[in-house]
Amino acid sequence: MSSEKAVPKKFSIKDYKADSPRWCSGCGDFSVLVGMRKHMMDAQLDPANVVHVSGIGCSGRLPHYFNTYGIHGVHGRAIPIALGVVLARPDLNVFIESGDGDALSIGGNHLIHGINKNFNCVFVLLDNQIYGLTKSQSSPTTQTGFRTPSQPEGTFMDPINPIQVALGLGGSFVASTADWLSGHFLETMNAAAAHPGFSFVHVAQRCPKYNPEAWDYKSSSWYSFLNHENGVAPDQKFGPDATIVDHDPSDRSKAFEYAQRVPRCFGVFYKDDTTTCYAKVLQDKKNKGEQPTDLFAKVRL
Amino acid sequence: MEKKDIRLELLMDAGNGAQSAASMLINEFAKEGKYVFIEPMIPAEISPPKRTPHSMSGAIVRTSNFEISCIGSSSDLMLVEHEILIDRRLNDKEYTKDTIILLDAGDERRNKDGYQAVYNRMDKLGLTYVAFNLPDVCKSIMLQLKGRGKNMVYLGMLTAIFNSNYDKMYHFVKTSYKKLSPEKQDLNCELYKEGYKFAQSEIDVRYSIESKRDDSKKVFMDGNMAISFGAIDSGIKLFAGYPITPASSIMHELAKIFPSYGGIVHQAEDEISAMGTVVGSYFSGVPAMTATSGPGLSLKQEIIGLAMASEIPAIIVNVQRGGPSTGLPTKTEQSDLQACLYGCHGDNTKVILSVADVEDCFYAPHVARYLGEKLRVPVIILSDYATSVSFKVIGEPTQNKLENIDDINDDILERFFLTRFKEEIPMVKNNQSIPGEQGKERRVTGLSTDGDGRVDFSSDAAIDAHNIRNQKMHILKESLQKPEIFGQEEADLLIVGWGSARGVIKETIDKCKENKLSVSGLHFKIVNPLPLGLKELLSKFKRVMTVEVAYGDRYKSAPFARELRNETLVDVESGVCEPSGRPLKPDVIMTKIREVLS
Ligand SMILES: Cc1ncc(C[n+]2csc(CCOP(=O)(O)OP(=O)(O)O)c2C)c(N)n1
Ligand code: SF4
Ligand SMILES: [Mg+2]
Repeated sequence: MSSEKAVPKKFSIKDYKADSPRWCSGCGDFSVLVGMRKHMMDAQLDPANVVHVSGIGCSGRLPHYFNTYGIHGVHGRAIPIALGVVLARPDLNVFIESGDGDALSIGGNHLIHGINKNFNCVFVLLDNQIYGLTKSQSSPTTQTGFRTPSQPEGTFMDPINPIQVALGLGGSFVASTADWLSGHFLETMNAAAAHPGFSFVHVAQRCPKYNPEAWDYKSSSWYSFLNHENGVAPDQKFGPDATIVDHDPSDRSKAFEYAQRVPRCFGVFYKDDTTTCYAKVLQDKKNKGEQPTDLFAKVRL
Repeated sequence: MEKKDIRLELLMDAGNGAQSAASMLINEFAKEGKYVFIEPMIPAEISPPKRTPHSMSGAIVRTSNFEISCIGSSSDLMLVEHEILIDRRLNDKEYTKDTIILLDAGDERRNKDGYQAVYNRMDKLGLTYVAFNLPDVCKSIMLQLKGRGKNMVYLGMLTAIFNSNYDKMYHFVKTSYKKLSPEKQDLNCELYKEGYKFAQSEIDVRYSIESKRDDSKKVFMDGNMAISFGAIDSGIKLFAGYPITPASSIMHELAKIFPSYGGIVHQAEDEISAMGTVVGSYFSGVPAMTATSGPGLSLKQEIIGLAMASEIPAIIVNVQRGGPSTGLPTKTEQSDLQACLYGCHGDNTKVILSVADVEDCFYAPHVARYLGEKLRVPVIILSDYATSVSFKVIGEPTQNKLENIDDINDDILERFFLTRFKEEIPMVKNNQSIPGEQGKERRVTGLSTDGDGRVDFSSDAAIDAHNIRNQKMHILKESLQKPEIFGQEEADLLIVGWGSARGVIKETIDKCKENKLSVSGLHFKIVNPLPLGLKELLSKFKRVMTVEVAYGDRYKSAPFARELRNETLVDVESGVCEPSGRPLKPDVIMTKIREVLS
């Protein structure tokens, strides 16, 4: 995504604020909201040229709280709606906010094709490992054994690994971060936005209401950071005890290896700026299309 | 035989080229100045086993010296490849005592009994038939073409039978198979020639139609081509679709030409996605359209609901086919009316247009844009299989190159019995800005909102939004003119239909006039909302009945009958309501009319 660098800064953080959120206190969505506003300000994006598109869920409410353009769509279908925006208006900066149920369950088909089409946007998967808004049913990422109203004896399937999914589908930018790692989050967003194509950002998101055990944000010894000059630096402030592993994000097979550590691994797994961009192919076709001659030439008698 | 109006059909096993032969024939007819209307008959499978009833493929062609409005009731001539196909086709009862059947008896040695049974059946029905055997020379050329090329023999025969221009057609055949080697091209031409010679000397059936078309510019296209061209001319810039018969050819046509008109064709991963992309595009200020058929319409419904609630325009073409489920994918029906009206959850406020013919297909996208963008609602264009594949000679439509919808021509609105909106249209959300407009940033949502677009779950906000959404529909209702009436405004019987029923209603009423029957016709293009004053209009007739390609019986009203009853409390009967997969036939309606009037 293009980022406009203007000095002195034209837009301040309040230019990105809209309505007040209605999430539970302590919800990780607040941190994501703040982090994304910060990113937009860092990049000095004109709010009028930004569109946030979301599905349904607690996470789906995010667009309401940015003073930009936004579409709070239907459950699971933010990607096709966002593609419509990108195809129609390649000049806009498009962000997608989706939940673990939204992206990996009902919207799974669109996720496959969004990643494959590699159209230019930042896709943020807010993973609280639970269906938040519908009151705590098991989601595709819920930890095995976790009791929920829909699987009262404990969630019986192994969770889906979102990073493996994204890599397996040929994602051109695949990263993971956490809502409470504010520095890491911001840098990941900046890197994602700078990438031309579908930037898949998995975010560990706290849901103190329904799945407080999912992410132990108070300690950092349970996870590792991927470190590289072409990736995102480890967050030493909020994750002081995390292991640091060097990983070059252009190395796809190593990326798959580290993906096995997910959800206990944050950083940029993979990045390739050269992947074909669907929307761009269609735009180019249109821009260099021959000039129309006569609509009825072929059918006139 | 000099005639004004002839219907012929060519039936062959699927894959043997009946449709391409028929389309070459009608192209030549059309160029000769005749009016033509073709309805292809396509099996639902790609290559069904040959010499079975499932393999029936071909085309029905109606040609005349006046503008044709429907495919008609029965054929004057049938040219049929073998006994199984004619046996299958007779079941549809589209013949009369005057029908002549030319049956290729080449397969008789393979199935003597089968042929004999069919001869007996035709004798019993009092039909005239000629069983013929192609000359050996045809067979030996076909052997060199690995059994192919019989369609060219038949094309030659039809050229002779219809007194068409042999030289021109010969040239057409010669230039039509560019992908074949020159030797094979020549063999096809030989077959054409032999077929012509054969019919000249051996077949004693001749028809001719004088060509007296005016010299104004004419085009020859089917409904889906017209919709594609109309989409371009109406200023739509994005098409998103997922393959489904019979809507796919809209995507195919646009894929060829849309980019050079600044348009994008997006093949989505499913219909839900295509619908989402249309909404995303329209929200961003770029007019967008999708096209689908029944099953795909079902998938789109949730996002159509989002479009209604969030006041984002969207254009959805639904080319109806036989249902429910996969049903009759290559046959026609008009059964999706209620799925369109009510298929979405919650209160429904969307506009439904239908197309009567190929010309309407060209202008429907313009009207859909006008209504969709003025009212900021989703607009469904209902076409059907019959209209989508029927090639027809029509006057060349005027090109509009529409950008701003306010520049739409009044003639186009009037074609759909619509008057231009005069008043401001109220909106649930006061701010309807598009991305890029500074200081007017806004979020849309499927949630209930207040006038500022803020999420608001209060009863007042909910009621206000409902009222305003419906107010918009009422403004449209008040802008609708009286629908098209054929015949007198008072009579013993009124037959009513919508969409592709127009041609049949028109032709039926013409017949009623000839027969001095007190019957009128009424036809609707916009089917939701319905115009004011309908009760008064319908009350002037002693009986009112609908003609629809949809199910209805004594306990269950057919879809359109139900809507009219609901709207007017008039006792609208479900008259001819037979979802047989075939278009309505004037003769069937005449029979019903006679029964009702006696
Ligand atoms: C078609 C449809 N089915 C079901 C729902 C109900 N629903 C709303 S949110 C949701 C799950 C949300 O879970 P997730 O995507 O993980 O988001 P979170 O609330 O956890 O952020 C469901 C099932 C819906 N809105 N639409
Ligand atoms: S339920 Fe969980 S995800 Fe939803 S707002 Fe509350 S804490 Fe956040
Ligand atoms: Mg969730």
